[in-house]
Amino acid sequence: MKIDRFENSTNDRILENKIALNITINGRLYSLIIPPTYRLVDLLRKDLELTGTKISCEIGRCGSCSVLMNGNVVNSCLVMAYQANGMVIETIEQVSQENLHPIQQAFLEEGALQCGYCTPGMVIALKSLLDKNNQPTEEEVLDYLCGNLCRCTGYNGILRAVQRYKNESSAIFDNKTLE
Amino acid sequence: MKLIRDNFQEKWKIRPDGYDKVTGSLKYLTDYSFPGMLYGKVLRSSYPHAKILSISTSKAEQLEGVFAVVTHKDVVGMNRFGLIFPDQPVLCEDVVRYVGDAVAAVAAESEEIADKAIELIEVEYEILEVIDDPETALIDSAVKLHPGGNILHRAGYKSSDDVMSAIDECPFIVEETYETPRQMHAYMETEGGVVVPEADGKITVYAATQHGFKDRMQLARILAMPESDIRVISSPIGGSFGGKDELNIQPYAALLAIKSNRPVKLHNKRIESVKAGIKRHPMKIKMITGAKENGLLVGHFVRITADTGAYATLGPAVLDFAVEHSTGPYRIQNVDIEGISVFTNNGVSGEFRGFGGNQVTFALESQIDRLAEILNIDPLKLREMNIREADDLGPLGQRIVANDGAKNVLEMIKSSPILTTPLKPKDKWRLRGKGAAITMHGGGLGFGRPDPSGARLSLTEEGKIEIAFGFEEFGQGLLATVEILLTDMLGCAKEDVKIVIGDTGIVPASGSSTASRSTNMIWQGINKLKGPWKNKLLNAASRISGVAVETLTLGENGVWEKGEKDKSVITYKELANRLKTELPVCSTQFHFPTTPDAVIGGHYLHTYAAVAVEVEVNQLTGQIKVTKLDHAVAAGPVVNPLGYLGQIEGGAIMGLGFTLFEDSLMENARYHTENFDSYIIPTIRDIPLSTNVYVDESLIENDVFGPRGVGEIGTVAVAPAITAAIHDACGLWVKKLPVSSEEILNALQTTSFSFYKQGVSE
Repeated sequence: MKIDRFENSTNDRILENKIALNITINGRLYSLIIPPTYRLVDLLRKDLELTGTKISCEIGRCGSCSVLMNGNVVNSCLVMAYQANGMVIETIEQVSQENLHPIQQAFLEEGALQCGYCTPGMVIALKSLLDKNNQPTEEEVLDYLCGNLCRCTGYNGILRAVQRYKNESSAIFDNKTLE
Repeated sequence: MKLIRDNFQEKWKIRPDGYDKVTGSLKYLTDYSFPGMLYGKVLRSSYPHAKILSISTSKAEQLEGVFAVVTHKDVVGMNRFGLIFPDQPVLCEDVVRYVGDAVAAVAAESEEIADKAIELIEVEYEILEVIDDPETALIDSAVKLHPGGNILHRAGYKSSDDVMSAIDECPFIVEETYETPRQMHAYMETEGGVVVPEADGKITVYAATQHGFKDRMQLARILAMPESDIRVISSPIGGSFGGKDELNIQPYAALLAIKSNRPVKLHNKRIESVKAGIKRHPMKIKMITGAKENGLLVGHFVRITADTGAYATLGPAVLDFAVEHSTGPYRIQNVDIEGISVFTNNGVSGEFRGFGGNQVTFALESQIDRLAEILNIDPLKLREMNIREADDLGPLGQRIVANDGAKNVLEMIKSSPILTTPLKPKDKWRLRGKGAAITMHGGGLGFGRPDPSGARLSLTEEGKIEIAFGFEEFGQGLLATVEILLTDMLGCAKEDVKIVIGDTGIVPASGSSTASRSTNMIWQGINKLKGPWKNKLLNAASRISGVAVETLTLGENGVWEKGEKDKSVITYKELANRLKTELPVCSTQFHFPTTPDAVIGGHYLHTYAAVAVEVEVNQLTGQIKVTKLDHAVAAGPVVNPLGYLGQIEGGAIMGLGFTLFEDSLMENARYHTENFDSYIIPTIRDIPLSTNVYVDESLIENDVFGPRGVGEIGTVAVAPAITAAIHDACGLWVKKLPVSSEEILNALQTTSFSFYKQGVSE
């Protein structure tokens, strides 16, 4: 695994007590020296320029900064960077590194996005659900997504995308059993 | 026709910006970083109303890592901005009028240092009396917030002299005063961007706005720079809904970038966005409406008071729109409407999806429902009896483009299963009800207002057909609409097309992406360009190939012989190679269609919508759940089905929020609701899971105006449909939005209505 060294250039003056951490982000191990005040979202957006993770409310209410930490969805605005030390972080950039995830394809087909600012968080939240259970009930979908706000779509397109995903993944499943 | 994929087949197109959005690779303007970039912060007022006695920035300037501090002294040009009247200080010099007023700004090498520097700026204030209510502001002895007094704007329309006596003669009269909330746009991406000073003394502004050229004009005045030295890149945007039409962070980032000679990024925190961002005008609307025994609406008296907050922005135009839309799509003989927009020390109210229509439509449609009840006529029947004819004059007596939309949406919504299926009680504790409402909505800015547009088509060196507009993509699906219209109208493939928008450096001025105007302006623009464009290309192809021009046609990938599917004459790429220095360009400038009658602000093109909803009222908690929602919309041909659907569905849920939860609560002109923990917008748990959009694509024969925009209409008639359903469920007539659970519970207690309507079967 490649190790990137990254020295933070800013904050040198007022932040003497920097901290070091090792963190795996999208499959790469980073050794970083960062201000102790940094949240995970700051690390991602400012230092690594992984701007697919968005910031909006910064109090854990909107879900636009959702990332996976050791496979679980977290609001990266509520996780201090040092808390992610030793953890495995997966952001939206990783989800579509090679091909679109089927849920991303379903988002495109069903118009589950408009301005797109909430979309990475939505995809991350859904991916974590679908990884555990690719035929979730409507209740499970609503529970999983009620922490991700979208102001554009009215959520209807997102629900259609999940339905499409479910239909298609069950079709794949059926084909496999036929074989 | 139901707006679903099966009914639109190959027109159902994936949006061109979709891939980059689902992968997170799209860079919004707040995602940019530049080498040596600084972080900006703005110091906002400590008080809603105060005199500034002194501002000291020396401690902030001495902090290591701070590169620039600016106050009003650094504004070399005009220290004011505002889309209609430039009355809002960029940086206040003597008085602050609301908590969002900017006093100073800093740029530092990190956000933390910038925050610290803001704390070190010392401002001495003398606190002044606060006016937090328009009615107080109108009292003669009230403190004057502006030199011209506390009235921003008056607007009115009268069809006859003595409307009140016409109403008095009516046997059925409803009189009520309605109140609507200070709704927040609540776009997910708060205002922000980066301003970059260029080597030649010019600046590039990467910041979200709905009108890059207007930003450029205002910035030029503030910075005392020629417009040509300012380039505004204004797309893509993470949501706007009207909230980013006015300048927000641009002047501060620009002043700091110029002073520090470094790129400066400024991205509002949500709390700052709440304080400084514009909101929907809270309105108090008194209506007295009279009807004859036969249901004919005879008189309508309306008085509107709008709280415009501390500064003007688009307040005058919003009030004009509210006045115009106070009578909706109805024929009413005697109309007397007056509106007043009043300055207070509250947050600034401005442009918001629906533009004043939402408030008055809630009031008007509630009036119609109440009249229907006392007349004992079905509410939709009463609407039908009074609905406008296609060629009736507009609401201000102006000529408008004839259209049957009002009748058509009414007809469509009548057959919604929500209204045709009898309701059954859900359980012992939950009452059910259904309701409907309609609306008519004008597009464009209106008569007498500069509303120009433009477009440019060119063949690039790479052989792409480049279409350029000054519009912005803020999620509405404008790029998809451009792609669909261009490929349809020119016959080329989407791979042949390059779309350029949102950058004053390279696009023609097309006016603002606002007022549901862009779709229509795109259609008009391409329509005007396609003839000359085809001529230029076909003539060039004929010259080069020697094939007679009459036999040529534009198609996918290049020029083809007519009727010969496999006879390519020349590809666009080859054509570009051959033409080299004479690449064809066509451009056009035109104006949004306006009424020929000199009625200031009067609209000419309209869209229509009807909404039906089913609600459940929880008798234990007083909570309302909208369980079903159907929309019928008439806006001409559907260009971009996926975009159209998204706009109506999204608009409907925004309207649901307006009705049930959303209010930027202020006390003594300070916000209580500063973030999404207390300002509640709908989540996926709050939406009706059963929802349909029906469309009427018809236009009157020989209509030359094409598809109308649907950006706003989905929000407008939702509130009165929901409140009608609440009344149906529990008897309460809602007059203040958002509906509170307490009010529902009180109503249930006092009217003991709970079992009156539906009975309860266990």
